[in-house]
Amino acid sequence: MDLLLPASVFLPMLAAPVSYIIGRKSKNARNIFAMAVQVLILFPTLWLLVRALSGKDAAAFSLEGFCGLGLHFRSDGFRSLYAAVAAVMWCFTGLFSPEYFAHYRNRNRYTFFCLITLGATLGVFLSDDLYTTFIFFEIMSFTSYTWVAHEETQGAMRAAETYLAVAVIGGMVTLMGLFMLYRNLGTLSFDGMAAAAAQRDSLSALYLPGAFVLFGFGAKAGMFPVHIWLPKAHPVAPAPSSALLSGILTKTGIFGILVLSVYVFRHDASWGLAILLLGCVTMFLGAVLALFSVDLKRTLACSSMSQVGFILVGIACQCLLGEESTLAAQGTVLHMLNHSLFKLVLFMCAGTVYMHLHKLNLNDIRGWGRKKPFLAVCFLIAALGISGIPLFSGYVSKSLLHEGLLEYVHEGEGFALIAGVVEKVFILTGGLTLTYMTKLFVTLFVEKHPTEQRKYNKTGPYLTPLGHIAIGVPACLLLLFGLSPAFSMQALSFLSLPFMDAHPHAVDYFSAENLLGALKSILVAGVAYPLIVRGWMMKKEGKTRIHVNRWFKRFDLEDTVYRPFISLLLKGLGFVALGADRLLEGVLLPCGVSLLAFLARTADRLLDGWLLPGLTKAGAAAAAGFDAVFDRYLIPTMISVGTFFGRVFDNVTDAVALALKNTAFRLIRPSRGPTVGNRFTYALGSFLDKCAALLNRTVLRAHPIRTRFVPALAAAREDAEENVKHFTRTLSFSLLLFALGLLLVLVAVRVF
Amino acid sequence: MTLLMILTVLFPAACALVLGCAQSLQSNSRALHLFTGGALLVQCAIAVACAAGGDASFTFLTIGQSLPLVLAVDGLARFFVVFFTVMWTVPVFYSFSYMSHDGHEKRYLVFYLLTLSALEALALSGTAVTMYLFFEVMTLLSVALVLHEMTKESIAAGLKYLLYSIAGATMGLLGIFFLVPNTASPTFVPGGSLNASLTCPPETLLIILFITIVGFGTKAGLFPMHAWLPTAHPIAPAPASAVLSGVITKAGVLCVLRLIFYTFGADFIRGTWVQTALIITALLTVFMGSMMAFRTDLFKKRLAYSTVSQVSYVLLGIFLLEGTALQGSLLHVVFHSAIKTCLFLSAGAVIHQTGKTRVSELEGIGKEMPVTLWCFTLVSLGLIGIPPTGGFISKWNLAQGALASGTGFLEWLSPAVLLLSALLTAGYLLPVTIHGFFPGRDYDYASLTKKECGYMMLVPMILCVLFTFLGGMFPGPLTSFFSGITAPLL
Repeated sequence: MDLLLPASVFLPMLAAPVSYIIGRKSKNARNIFAMAVQVLILFPTLWLLVRALSGKDAAAFSLEGFCGLGLHFRSDGFRSLYAAVAAVMWCFTGLFSPEYFAHYRNRNRYTFFCLITLGATLGVFLSDDLYTTFIFFEIMSFTSYTWVAHEETQGAMRAAETYLAVAVIGGMVTLMGLFMLYRNLGTLSFDGMAAAAAQRDSLSALYLPGAFVLFGFGAKAGMFPVHIWLPKAHPVAPAPSSALLSGILTKTGIFGILVLSVYVFRHDASWGLAILLLGCVTMFLGAVLALFSVDLKRTLACSSMSQVGFILVGIACQCLLGEESTLAAQGTVLHMLNHSLFKLVLFMCAGTVYMHLHKLNLNDIRGWGRKKPFLAVCFLIAALGISGIPLFSGYVSKSLLHEGLLEYVHEGEGFALIAGVVEKVFILTGGLTLTYMTKLFVTLFVEKHPTEQRKYNKTGPYLTPLGHIAIGVPACLLLLFGLSPAFSMQALSFLSLPFMDAHPHAVDYFSAENLLGALKSILVAGVAYPLIVRGWMMKKEGKTRIHVNRWFKRFDLEDTVYRPFISLLLKGLGFVALGADRLLEGVLLPCGVSLLAFLARTADRLLDGWLLPGLTKAGAAAAAGFDAVFDRYLIPTMISVGTFFGRVFDNVTDAVALALKNTAFRLIRPSRGPTVGNRFTYALGSFLDKCAALLNRTVLRAHPIRTRFVPALAAAREDAEENVKHFTRTLSFSLLLFALGLLLVLVAVRVF
Repeated sequence: MTLLMILTVLFPAACALVLGCAQSLQSNSRALHLFTGGALLVQCAIAVACAAGGDASFTFLTIGQSLPLVLAVDGLARFFVVFFTVMWTVPVFYSFSYMSHDGHEKRYLVFYLLTLSALEALALSGTAVTMYLFFEVMTLLSVALVLHEMTKESIAAGLKYLLYSIAGATMGLLGIFFLVPNTASPTFVPGGSLNASLTCPPETLLIILFITIVGFGTKAGLFPMHAWLPTAHPIAPAPASAVLSGVITKAGVLCVLRLIFYTFGADFIRGTWVQTALIITALLTVFMGSMMAFRTDLFKKRLAYSTVSQVSYVLLGIFLLEGTALQGSLLHVVFHSAIKTCLFLSAGAVIHQTGKTRVSELEGIGKEMPVTLWCFTLVSLGLIGIPPTGGFISKWNLAQGALASGTGFLEWLSPAVLLLSALLTAGYLLPVTIHGFFPGRDYDYASLTKKECGYMMLVPMILCVLFTFLGGMFPGPLTSFFSGITAPLL
């Protein structure tokens, strides 16, 4: 657990809000504070580097549980070297910033984000697992956005938009790759990944995640075909930021690719070939773009892209060469280091020009550097260095890369043929580098401006002492590296080899083969500069020849491919989403409702127009028929039957009774003659008959009395006689008599 | 414990009752604020106490012979009680300032408290029927928050909300009809309580399950029943939008969790067409919400569409039926809630202070309201899923879970859609920041006036930002708490 590591990462981040608060009160105090932080952070990182140089164990620090998987830092040779390079870059740009930004708005914002980006960049370079790398990489991407957008001009905003889009898309694609890598390997720590990958029979399952991760890191590095933001964003940022963007932020991308290549795809030739081809295209395309550019900073930005291509070739050679990757590994790390310092010096020189002229077009700034020897010398050191001229630092790193490539070509195995072509491109690109650097140097320091030269010569003191230090010290460092490669650069490169799993062995930097390579490049430049730059790329306008941009506008990958593609994609996806969004309310519900309505209406029609009338008629007919049957047949029949049965049941008892009465219980009655009655009835009857006849003739003519009283009275008398006879024969009569007798007995008993 | 549960549910309602009856509070807004704020803080303490106690359950009513209505505390209830209460409390302080000139502040606060009561009851529901009951109650009460402005639009939006919610709940009810005869116990059992022998074919039950989930998913804005959300959320006052998006949508998530893991059981669903269908539905919603947010210019509507998308991240994590994904889901419940609350509050602050409602009008807003826009920006990064924010942690877990879920092509499609949606999220949130902070060279700095809102509005936002970042940097306590909940479920 070494607290120096988290301290160097988090202290600048913590200092950022402090500087913001100070800045609200005093701008000067803020500048001093920020500068102090950027200089002070140099010490822990240099201490880490010294520790590594003295051969001590790598310092490590981990914060378990942070963001889930934890933060893991480690400062072995390579990482401490690059942390130190980052700190150096920030330190010198920090010294240069106050004078550059003297007339800028929103400087508080710039300082704030600059400090956070410093911490995040150190976090990337010191990380020991891809998770940590990714966390700081993302923070860095977002905070560095403010650099690109800082000027807030239309061009800057557009470039910043591109930068952000590439950063966000790159970040997300990388994240997808990390998801898959973690799933496949079970860890994201560098050593863990190497061990897990070594145990696998085939790495083919890792190519897709690898490609995703490469996309994100490659975008930051400026690798073709995701380089589009770089030539636009680097020039529009303020010069100190351009230096950092080009010099160090591209290296965070390289760092990621390097980790992927030497830990996950260690010695994997297919992966190496992919990187080799991408690197080759990047290298060549960058140089061509730089050659065509007529803008000082854009040329430098395209040059960065090209140099990143060189570094990628170095990384590819490490994968291709397998165990004997030492030369390529040394070349990779040294070229990274050199390029960082070149771009630091070059962009600050460009910044000096811009600070005074607010112009960057080569035709406007030509001749401004005349009679400014300090600037010219610094620029020249970096320019010769980047072009790989012997005795300058770039020669050493490029020779190593070239030798690595040649080694693979000479082995003659695998993809040697392709590597052979790449080697030719390598030499050609080296020549082109010298060509465009010559173009810049000649324009800025040799040619004269047709109208303003006098004014340019009298600029006076164009840099403060701090500015001199900021540009001069890195230039001296470069000079030192170039003159004594065996002492300075070799030590640093050996330091880095364990990270890349390579073993040091000494190199003769000035061997004939290496010098020949450099010579070839110089020859290319010797042909290209007069013919192309001075010839085709200049045209006469009035008395002077001016630089013209011969680049074809159509050849802008961003404007012709990416932007149309993305806007088309967004339109298409947007259409799909809109469809999905409105599906329920716009399609399903209306369709459902219409369908239901249709069904309902149809049902309604069916019911109303056909079914109901039909039913009604049928019903009516049926009802009528039924009615008729009912009325005419059924009910009468039923009534008849009912009555019949009713009668039957009604009378059955009576009938039985009658039958019994007439059979078993028939009263035996003596037959008698006709009733005549006695005298009394006859007399009374005769009398009544005569009365009735009289009444019938008189009063009762209308309703005569028909009764014959003589037989009626005779019958009545007979009935009465009969009833008395019956009565006296019945039980009741007996009982009555019995009761009477009893009563008499009781009375008798009572009396007597 | 029983008493504590009842208190958790009834205390906000009682406070609402007091608030509604006390005439003196109508005129005295200071007292109104003190009372409501105090009540919610006390409620927070009660909820924490309730969550801190052991498991308990209590039947407060039995419908007929076999339908007990139960309040119960278990792992999930513990989490949701505290979550609902805290996320309900934070925006209320903002609303004191935001609603001060509204005129109907008291009515708003009464319904605000009542809705909380229903939410607490929903969180503590121990049976599906209880859950359905309080789900409906919560819907009815929260309509008042949508209706608050009482304009024609808001009434239309409120009705739409009501119709969708009731339609959804009815679909949910269908599931409950089928569940009751098929489960061993009416209460929720971790891992599911489906009988071994079913009264209907499993295929039928799967269809029912799908309909039920889609029904309860209505509240969570799941396609195809999401359309109420972008209409209703933006129309409510900003603090209400914040809780509607941040909290109420999570009530739908809770119901889905209860149904899948506590009644049907993950094993019943795993590998069936229903799981595939649900995952695809969730993915479609994730994509559609982001894309629509990207295309929408109205600030709050954009955020509402974003909610549609983000809540489906949570549902996706549930449907994957995988431990890590489920943890990611619960993490996203918390983080999305904090983030979306902050986004709505800051959008509300912008609308409140400047009256600008469209994203395209917000040029230079960062110069006028720097703190507000900073809060907006920081939580935006969280929503996109940039480390070290909480959104990144939940997304990491969701993606890892998806890759390990064994769902065929959905294994890699899910993370891919999540990342596509993250890109779109960046596309619809970052322009606000960019145009707000980088208004361009032509910006008129001379006529710039500071329009920053007051502390009452800023503090809730800042709290959300802090939580988003601290929770993201140190997710250990949260993840271990969640793994305690999810372990018995799978």
